[in-house]
Amino acid sequence: MSVPASETSSALLDAYRRHPARGGVDELITDAGPRPHAEALAATIEAMGLGGLLAARAEASGLVEDEGITYGAAHSGVREPWLIDPLPLPLDAGEWAGLERGLVQRAVLLDAVLTDLYSTRTLLRSGVLPPAAVLSHPGFTRPADHLDPAQRRQLVLTATDLGRDEDGAWRVISDRTQAPAGAGYAMATRRIVSRVLAGLHRTSDLARLRGFFHAMTGALLDAAPGGSETPRVVLLSPGSGSEIAYDHGLLATMLGFPLAEADDLVVSRGRVWLRAGDDLEPVDVVLRRVDALLSDPLEFRGNSEVGLPGMIETARQRAVTVVNPVGAGVLDNPALIAHLRPVARALLGEDLLLDSPRTWWCGTPAELSHVLSGLDHLVVKPVARSGAAGVRYGWRLTAAEREELAARIREEPWAWCGQEPVQLSTAPVVTPSGLEPRRFVLRAFGAASADSYHFLPGGLGRVASAVGERTVSSAAGTLAKDVWVPAAATEKAEPERVRRRLAVAPRESAVPPRVARTLMTIGALAERAEGTARLVKVADDLAEDFGSRPGTTGAAASARLVDTVSLITSVERWYAESALGYLTRVALDPASSGGVHHSARRLSAEAQEVRDLMSVDIWSVFSRLERTLGARPADDEALQPLLADVLESLLAYSGIMAQSMVRDSSWAFLDAGSRLERARHTVSLLRHTLLDRPGDPGAELVADAVLRACESIITHRRRAAAGTGPATAAESVRPLLVHDAANPRSVAHQLAALASDLRLAGDEPLAGQAEALLAGLDAVADAAPADTDARLGQLAAALTSLGQRIAQRHFVRQASRRTAEATWSTPRQVG
Amino acid sequence: MIVTGRRRYRVRHVTRYTYDDVLEACYNRGLLQPREVPGQVVISSEVVATPPSEVVTTHLDYFGNPSVYLECRTPTRELVVAATSVVEVDRPVPDLAELDAWTVSAAADELARSTDPVEWAEFTLPSPLVALGPAVRAYAADVLAPGRPLGEAVGALVHRIHHDFRYAQGATSVRTTLAELLDLRQGVCQDFAHLAVGCLRAAGLPARYVSGYLETAPPPGREKLQGADATHAWAAVAVPGGTWVDLDPTNDHLTDSRYIVTAWGRDFSDVSPLRGVVFTEAGSSSLTVEVDVDPLPLPD
Repeated sequence: MSVPASETSSALLDAYRRHPARGGVDELITDAGPRPHAEALAATIEAMGLGGLLAARAEASGLVEDEGITYGAAHSGVREPWLIDPLPLPLDAGEWAGLERGLVQRAVLLDAVLTDLYSTRTLLRSGVLPPAAVLSHPGFTRPADHLDPAQRRQLVLTATDLGRDEDGAWRVISDRTQAPAGAGYAMATRRIVSRVLAGLHRTSDLARLRGFFHAMTGALLDAAPGGSETPRVVLLSPGSGSEIAYDHGLLATMLGFPLAEADDLVVSRGRVWLRAGDDLEPVDVVLRRVDALLSDPLEFRGNSEVGLPGMIETARQRAVTVVNPVGAGVLDNPALIAHLRPVARALLGEDLLLDSPRTWWCGTPAELSHVLSGLDHLVVKPVARSGAAGVRYGWRLTAAEREELAARIREEPWAWCGQEPVQLSTAPVVTPSGLEPRRFVLRAFGAASADSYHFLPGGLGRVASAVGERTVSSAAGTLAKDVWVPAAATEKAEPERVRRRLAVAPRESAVPPRVARTLMTIGALAERAEGTARLVKVADDLAEDFGSRPGTTGAAASARLVDTVSLITSVERWYAESALGYLTRVALDPASSGGVHHSARRLSAEAQEVRDLMSVDIWSVFSRLERTLGARPADDEALQPLLADVLESLLAYSGIMAQSMVRDSSWAFLDAGSRLERARHTVSLLRHTLLDRPGDPGAELVADAVLRACESIITHRRRAAAGTGPATAAESVRPLLVHDAANPRSVAHQLAALASDLRLAGDEPLAGQAEALLAGLDAVADAAPADTDARLGQLAAALTSLGQRIAQRHFVRQASRRTAEATWSTPRQVG
Repeated sequence: MIVTGRRRYRVRHVTRYTYDDVLEACYNRGLLQPREVPGQVVISSEVVATPPSEVVTTHLDYFGNPSVYLECRTPTRELVVAATSVVEVDRPVPDLAELDAWTVSAAADELARSTDPVEWAEFTLPSPLVALGPAVRAYAADVLAPGRPLGEAVGALVHRIHHDFRYAQGATSVRTTLAELLDLRQGVCQDFAHLAVGCLRAAGLPARYVSGYLETAPPPGREKLQGADATHAWAAVAVPGGTWVDLDPTNDHLTDSRYIVTAWGRDFSDVSPLRGVVFTEAGSSSLTVEVDVDPLPLPD
């Protein structure tokens, strides 16, 4: 494409202006040209041209892959990459200020509604809100009644879905109050768009998103029950199987609070505790990302595995605060939207600044007949909906479906609402055929502050999956938009209160058993991938040199190495499989357990489980590792550079971990995993290769390969040359790889490091055991050749047993949970 | 037989969970203590667990029922929760004939107008275990016809359920729906109470599910056995004038001084007497319930 940029690009905007699907309000342009606040964006579009925009789009999806930003449930096997359109969506400063005022008012109002519904229920008794519209909603959780003191804000976090009507006015489509999610995705989207459109981002003075997360931190700390100087907050997540696990992980990172799953927490002595080895650390605030009905199996759904039994009672006793409170889901109710104007007048004495599309609750005869007669053009929402489930778009229904729906509505009219569809504005999306207008919705996020609410400037923008699509759901294909709000619109000093609270030094985070196990597994897998890659690389090198010369010493040494690979990795060599073919399979086959690719995949999967503890830089390393290992080598010789690339990625991984992790107990478990694995790997390498008689010419070649596989060949050669070490590799192997504590590859070095890791994790007895093993190494080094194998065997067993002791002491899960409910007992019939 | 006048009882309700492995922890919520209602005075009431709970808290729940929370993290293979209460009951039998001043539909209209709106909606809408499907509506339409006098209709409902359904344990579970029950034609007190509640709501009358105890007489000539009484469930319907009439379709009876109320709600799911979450690797478990309702002499 060598068309002059200027020509193509004005054509790009012109074509967009004339696009047949662009009717109504557009976020970028009017018929007269770009909107004033979007001029810089329009200029960028013109300057980049379609080629530049498509390159930006590709870069964005590359970054998404690198950072592992996904959406979708892990257990269904489908984690879709988060889709981002590179073009940001700028909002006018004045417009945002107005929208923010409306959002703040709405949050204050919903907070007052929430307080009323779980205390006096005046709104229901006075008829401002029809009781049936609230009491039939599954979010009205009766165990939450009178749970919190009324003077405090009940609605700590809120999210609001908005779209523009045909006049361009913002309308609230729904409120998301159960466990408002998506702020993490908004942050991730900003990070990526600001990189792919770095120039435009730099010259646009944007309101930063970070302040919102500070406000959220403040809101959570403020929510703590009285009496705690430095409240401890945990984010209760349903686990990495959640569709929005990425959002949970990034949010925990942004807030600096640990991510916890049900098994990490326990209710004991009337408090919620975070389990950390044998210790329990008190928890003051639970940021709940688990649906209310799953949050406490004692009070709600008894079979929930992701909830914490006793949590609600602990909240009732004011020993913990759950945010949002378990009853908050009741606000996500279209019937409330239908009555919100009178509710605002009753509770605030104000008119609503931010309206919703006209909504009718079918619980009264007049509204019922209005909805029934408008079924062909209304959006029909069940009161008891959860999210978008059950929402029907009247215009999509066949006559028969409409009749069936009408019958269901007539059956239980109080369970249904009708809503005028919001036309929704359009926004340009980059596609290979040019810019496409797609319907746009905005999710805004708020957090309570002392006397108001703080909103994320902008929010998470989303556009429809296809050009003609009139609705935007979270279904596949929806694209995210970075929403840009000028700094001027929100420039407020961060409240002094928040800063003071943040100045409190965070206490060292406890490591729950699940996290300890995962970290240790990560350490072990990274080490296994590296150790295996080095060994395969050396074996492959020998096989290439000697494979075609059967009968030679070199060929025997090569065969010994290949056997060693098989013994260490447990990847079986197929009948008549060539050495090179086998080694390639050990390296690249993701299905071969024990192979490099398999370990690398498990490594990345385990890291997902503790995303909040990982540096953000780690994901691009994993993504590169996967790309390298996923490539089919062009020929046998390509394995060497490929493995070199793998080792480079794994070194980058260890470098990032070493440089980014504080040396606390999290680090201790991660490092212990890699130390133990390296010690075991080295011992088993020695056992499988050191059985030869001294002086065997093949032995020297094998020993040389072992030293190379253990990164110790240079040290050997230097010492041999200087006369400070043995002259042959065969003599060097044992002293260098077993008891030379100065060699970072030696077993002695691993045991010393393991001892200090265990001490850091607070386990003095096991640290002592590691040191005792270290002291016993001399016996291995001094053993007569005939005894060596037995000594190494004992050492291997001792290492395995130490690993098991660590697991027994630190990875203890709580017993399985069950619910028990007394069934009805029989009365004798009475006369 | 109808028993009126003041009666005093000691109620002992013992639930025993036994497992074949250690329980690391158990959390329980119980609605095991009689509530204060007109015609019923609670003299004393306590809930004791063995091993003892580290945390015991009580509160009045959304429906005003006393609710107890028990938390125990002492390793054990058996947990026993014993509730012992002394209660005095003096419950007049409602006069159904008096209700005949209203027709079913007139009563429904009057109740919609005069009942507290929250209470009215709470007990008139379907609830988790009381869906108002076509089968329930059809069954109700017959007995609770709009023009039928209210007292006669309510009495007929109690007789009708008692007549149409066989008392049989094991035929139904906590998850049995009313539609399934209407097919099965057998069940236990909780099913019959749900059906009565469903029929009354289908007729537009607020109805609640009541759980409690009933003093039972031993078979003629036999001594009363220890633990032979039972937890029981019945229905109550709001009637004009701001009162509720309790009816027991299981026994074809209106309630009298032998009935002791512990809790009420929309249906069983609101008032389960005892539910627990335990942490254990046990493979098998048993749960037994013993109830004794013993008459006590009245103080002078």
